[in-house]
Amino acid sequence: MIANVFHWLTNSAHWDDHNGSAGIATQIRTHMSYSLLAVLIALVIALPLGLVIGHTGKGTALVTAANTLRALPTVGVLVLLTVMISPHFHGRTDLGYVLPTEIVLVFLAIPPILSNTYAGVQNVGGATRDAAAAMGMTGTQVLRQVEFPLSLPLIFSGLRSATLQVIATATIASYLPLGGLGRFIYDGLAQQDFPQMIGGGVLVALLALITDLVLGLIQRNVVSRGISGRFSSKTTAIGGAASADIIQAEVATV
Amino acid sequence: MTALPAVAGPTALPRDGAASSSPWHFWAYFNAHLHQDLSWLWDHVWLSALPVVVGLVIALPLGWLARRFSWLYPPMLSISGLLYTIPSIALFVLIPPLFGLKALDPLQVPIALTVYSVALLVRVVADGLASVPEEVVQAATAMGFGPFKRLIKVELPIAVPVISAGLRVATVSNVSLVAVAGTIGLNNLGQLFTTGFQLSSPTAYYPPIVLGIVLCVALALTFDLTIVLTSRLLTPWRRAVQGQ
Amino acid sequence: MKSKVLIIGAAGAALALSLNACSSKAKAKTASTTSAAAGSSSTSSSGAPAAGGGVASQLILGGPPEFQTRVDGVSGLAKIYGVKFKSYKVLDTGGPVTVTALKNGQVDAADLFTTDPSIAANNFVILADPKSNFAAQNVLPIINKAKATDGVKKTLNAISAKLDTPGLAALMVKVITNKQDPDAVAKQWLADNKLDATGTDAAGATLTVGSANFPENVLLADIYADALKAQGASTSTKLNIGSREKYVPGLKDGSIDLMPEYNGSILQYLDKTATATSPTDVLAALQKVLPSNLIVLDQSAAQDSDAIVVTQATATKYNLKSIADLANPAS
Repeated sequence: MIANVFHWLTNSAHWDDHNGSAGIATQIRTHMSYSLLAVLIALVIALPLGLVIGHTGKGTALVTAANTLRALPTVGVLVLLTVMISPHFHGRTDLGYVLPTEIVLVFLAIPPILSNTYAGVQNVGGATRDAAAAMGMTGTQVLRQVEFPLSLPLIFSGLRSATLQVIATATIASYLPLGGLGRFIYDGLAQQDFPQMIGGGVLVALLALITDLVLGLIQRNVVSRGISGRFSSKTTAIGGAASADIIQAEVATV
Repeated sequence: MTALPAVAGPTALPRDGAASSSPWHFWAYFNAHLHQDLSWLWDHVWLSALPVVVGLVIALPLGWLARRFSWLYPPMLSISGLLYTIPSIALFVLIPPLFGLKALDPLQVPIALTVYSVALLVRVVADGLASVPEEVVQAATAMGFGPFKRLIKVELPIAVPVISAGLRVATVSNVSLVAVAGTIGLNNLGQLFTTGFQLSSPTAYYPPIVLGIVLCVALALTFDLTIVLTSRLLTPWRRAVQGQ
Repeated sequence: MKSKVLIIGAAGAALALSLNACSSKAKAKTASTTSAAAGSSSTSSSGAPAAGGGVASQLILGGPPEFQTRVDGVSGLAKIYGVKFKSYKVLDTGGPVTVTALKNGQVDAADLFTTDPSIAANNFVILADPKSNFAAQNVLPIINKAKATDGVKKTLNAISAKLDTPGLAALMVKVITNKQDPDAVAKQWLADNKLDATGTDAAGATLTVGSANFPENVLLADIYADALKAQGASTSTKLNIGSREKYVPGLKDGSIDLMPEYNGSILQYLDKTATATSPTDVLAALQKVLPSNLIVLDQSAAQDSDAIVVTQATATKYNLKSIADLANPAS
């Protein structure tokens, strides 16, 4: 079994497109473009929102509401949006299926980013804030120059969880007639071609790991060492609630 | 399509025989298919709850080990992160050959979900135990608690809030994951999505889809509430402290 | 601190750029499962001259995943008719995704089932199959030998005796067009055909009835299960299991005891070299290749075959009447 999977993965014919069907290389590109687009949209929505809510302390209900999004069954929402949206697209376009997929993935990515950003800003100590204010900083300056950098470790952990989740879940694009690595899983399933199916699963896991590694490297370069040092496993500074938030973020749905 | 018979004409169709396609008629759909829907709901309940219970039982000793021998913690984090990157649909199908089950054995879902639950809860248990302040542990030791009794009577109860936060996440995500298994023919609320999708031709047929979403969300929230309330019952001192 | 923020901004921008590059490439090459030019919204005929010459080489075919590997699928069309499509797009098993994709032009031809009311509803054209790429597809029960008691056989054979193609098509209108519950439609059909009488023919039998993942098969499974239940059997259902590739192993290992099948498809699944096309020949050939623990009972007159279907517009444009016409040189 393992030998067959390995053979499937290393057969160069499987990597290239031929006869109008996409190979592994193309499906990896498609998978990454669906995933990154969703994470980017979620980041654009959730990051400013989390910063503002954390800074002002207003609108925490939004964070709670976003967390209830997690209770939505991914497949159900995907099917609902697909039967609503896809009949309205004519011609050679996949937008009718790309749109529902992206919406579902964005739904998935928003809660971890939002709640972690909010928790990150919240966790900045009152003394730190007061010190910044005493130095003559305005509210926006405190947010941009103090609270944001200090909350980066938590923001990154939210972003990384969201990305892991989205990459694993982007396989559902292939429940619809879309590409991505899920194609190998769903086609392998229908054709009872186990090497193809497991190979697809392995590729998704690898892709998620590599992306996480890259984000980890970016985090290292971006987060001030003075800050990251505070988050050793022994510190209880972030306490139970924040750690629960981090845990909450780490759930793949498909 | 010459094979279409005369009865296919609209006049031959009793209007009352046709079901409404409106999304708001999901409750009528529920009532019309009560027996089937309830059986899928029940399947969904045990398929999503059992893995969390089994997962917790497995994760408690593992998490304790990871806390006790701190060198175990980093590799455990990596392994649990790795397990989470496996797409669930692949794991569902992979389980039967690995465990020697039949092709359509319903056990493949709880086994796969137990894998995810353990991955998540081991870390939660370790973090929960880590959240017990050192002075509390020392005080308990000074009062004569042995390591095991201290774990059961002092450390675990204090870790309840963190562990229950992890349980909430595991349960809620399981409800969504079980529905995925419905798309590969296993009996649970996910079948409502398949049914609705298949019947969405030529026009969208919303009732089963909306019903599936409503029932899944209701189930997830019920589980969530149960865990929150249980956690509160188990930690009466927290309310006492908050009340001050 | 400020420089850190700048770095994040730069990283974000880089990410956005690479994503753009990525997605535009993906769009140009494969925003879909195929490497067809998914970005262009023009119809296929405006493309470059076809490599293979035939009409089909300008068209995209859509259908279920397993149609790519089935004997009577993409390879059968190539072997028997010399028809090679530009590309194949994975849709679903004769369901709404396939119907919508054909109707809205995401594909030009599709694999649908002949009893599907969507074909008439959308004025789709079924291309004739003169060389019988698709063999006869009579509905019949496939059942675990150990579960096929005389009473169970009698009950199921009585159903097959009453089931014909127009009758099945009428049932499909109820299920697909009117959204009536398959189980209710099944019970109604049994009552209309006086097959719902309670009895003890199947008393003591315990059966798990399975179905493939399309509504007609679900309906047929319901008919079998309801009739057996009326005759005293204890039945449970596993519906929407998936493709034949997925449920036949379930039949072999005993996870499922009974399934509604189509004689030609199951024959070709079990014997890739099968050549029989008429209902009698297919049944005879099927009896020889069945796994040892399975038997088939009487076949019904009802046929529901796979068919290559195009829109009225496509049929007119390329003057298509049969699958063979797809191999005609493109004008």
